[in-house]
Amino acid sequence: MADLSSDPKALSGRTGFPPMNRHDLMTALATRWRMVPVLIALALIWTYFSWANPLFISPRNLSNLSLQIVVTAIVALGLMFVLVIGEIDLSVAASGAVSAAISAGLAVNAGVDIGIAILVGLGVGAGIGALQGVIVTWFRAPAFIVTLGMSLILQGILLDLLPEGTNLISLVGTPLGKIATLYLSPGMGIALLGAMTALYGFLSWQSWRASHQQALGGSLLREVLLPTAAIAIAGAAAVAVFNAYRGVPGLVAFLLVLLAAFSYVTTQTRFGLYLYAVGANAEAARRAGISVPFVRIAAFTLTGLFAALGGMIAAGRVLGVSPDSADTTLLLEAIAAAVIGGVSLFGGRGSVWAALIGALVIGSVSNGMLLINASTQTRLEVQGAILTLAVVLDALLSRRGGAR
Amino acid sequence: MATHTPPPVLEVRNVSVRFGGVAALTDVSMVVWPGEVVALVGDNGAGKSTLVKTISGIQQPDSGEILVAGRAHAMKGPQDAAAAGIQTVYQDLALCDNLDTVQNLFLGREICLPWWKGRRMDRARMEKRAREVLSDLDVKIRDTRVPSSSLSGGQRQSVAICRSILANPQVVLLDEPTAALGVAQRKQVLALIERLKAQGRAVVIISHDIGDVQQIADRVVVLRLGRKVAEVTRGGYSRDELIAAMTGALDAAELAALRKELAHG
Repeated sequence: MADLSSDPKALSGRTGFPPMNRHDLMTALATRWRMVPVLIALALIWTYFSWANPLFISPRNLSNLSLQIVVTAIVALGLMFVLVIGEIDLSVAASGAVSAAISAGLAVNAGVDIGIAILVGLGVGAGIGALQGVIVTWFRAPAFIVTLGMSLILQGILLDLLPEGTNLISLVGTPLGKIATLYLSPGMGIALLGAMTALYGFLSWQSWRASHQQALGGSLLREVLLPTAAIAIAGAAAVAVFNAYRGVPGLVAFLLVLLAAFSYVTTQTRFGLYLYAVGANAEAARRAGISVPFVRIAAFTLTGLFAALGGMIAAGRVLGVSPDSADTTLLLEAIAAAVIGGVSLFGGRGSVWAALIGALVIGSVSNGMLLINASTQTRLEVQGAILTLAVVLDALLSRRGGAR
Repeated sequence: MATHTPPPVLEVRNVSVRFGGVAALTDVSMVVWPGEVVALVGDNGAGKSTLVKTISGIQQPDSGEILVAGRAHAMKGPQDAAAAGIQTVYQDLALCDNLDTVQNLFLGREICLPWWKGRRMDRARMEKRAREVLSDLDVKIRDTRVPSSSLSGGQRQSVAICRSILANPQVVLLDEPTAALGVAQRKQVLALIERLKAQGRAVVIISHDIGDVQQIADRVVVLRLGRKVAEVTRGGYSRDELIAAMTGALDAAELAALRKELAHG
């Protein structure tokens, strides 16, 4: 019922202000409209590159672009959990590479079943995350340095794990090496979209019906029908583009399902709420009876798990694990993606979709710059400028609309 | 004192707390009746905070006991105090700025749907209950879905107090509830305390503001250097006397004599 512009007289203690003042606008931008400036930026980037080189919006390029961002988006999704509780993890690239090396080593060199090898790798990633969480929580050591140190250790371990001489575990011809070439059939793509839209529609209808039963009001059109229709239309456009090339890439479908699942976890469950509570005010969370150490360690564990997942997919895409797998470019791009997408470095704010949108911004700039034959210098300068702008926006919103 | 039937809702009996060699509280006793506002006043270091911590279960007394509704409770932590019906609202650090009013009210005790419905938080039920509590106490929040950072100081303090009421406590301890608030917001919070009282709850309030104390408290307990030096009832003291008792310019006997004089002349 009440939106920002309604009922000015209820502005107790601040009478005389216009209903929608500057503070309200900043608050809205910092919370529910946080994606708006990012989506505008993305639209501008796409418009520019499409104008500069029409190949940019060809189904083939967009399909490749979406495959290029999967690893960044998954690692950024993992980073979101530590960023929301106000911490950071600089070890994600190295821990992803180590996990991938262990999985690949087990599957290729030791002949272990691929499913078990992947589970072991994911467990290793989660374990690395949990260990860092324990160190940061129990010893109150700054996460910045703990995870930086861990990153160095893991880079060393990676070199130990790789075979001497070649320094490479090849995934050519293995099931893991084929994951980037899997595409859903056109029908399956449409079915996936239909299932996800229906699930979203069902869950939002359930919420609407519950608040209706409690006589809280709420518009069916605004809370259920319009958002569901928006998802259906955007999804249909994306599936149409993918189907014009080879169909929805399997990895992209996997990423979207993962994002949807963790969107549910972060917005609908207690655990998700506690992440945001701890990020904003750990002392208040503790006094409310929340186990702050558990939430912290769980956040680091999830970050490690997603880093391992990202590392394995990266290995599958480049068909092997090498010392380059721990390259810091992935770390920097994943942090940049999360921040560009609106995850606050000050803790307490950001959604899982930030990972997707932020990775799309970064990926579009890299991809478009290649298409217009821009130099590496120019590409780095533009990406750096976008990241800086995003951080400035974050600081501005934290100060004006958020905590202080 | 005359024996009331029912027993006082809260009784502090001969409580002493020592931190090493320092006596933070020495043999302090006080009673609080239902529907009564009792103010704890005293200079810095008088032991107000230690007393509140003892009642709220954070600090264990070295001797003496805390009785709730006539029964002694050995409180090992804030959970025990909450279970006994005592809730504490601290001066700051009470709310998460990024969460909205409903989320803050229910933080740590969310209502969830069963696992076969996905363990979702039952937002509708929480929102319904939140609106009931807010309207019972006449707290006006125009939109319970905006983050708490956009609420005024008075609204934030009111939400923090309502949060304690959700557990339906018999005793509410308020630590400096009006500190750092403007005039209009202070009024809001004082009116809220009156409504808690009207609901039959006992309120213990720490305050530095003599004006607030005079306006709201039925009784005032004055602490100085860890001892109770005076206890006065509404209308039975002047501002200057209270300050004199707090700072030690008057001792209890002198204050009693003065009070008698006031009452008779």
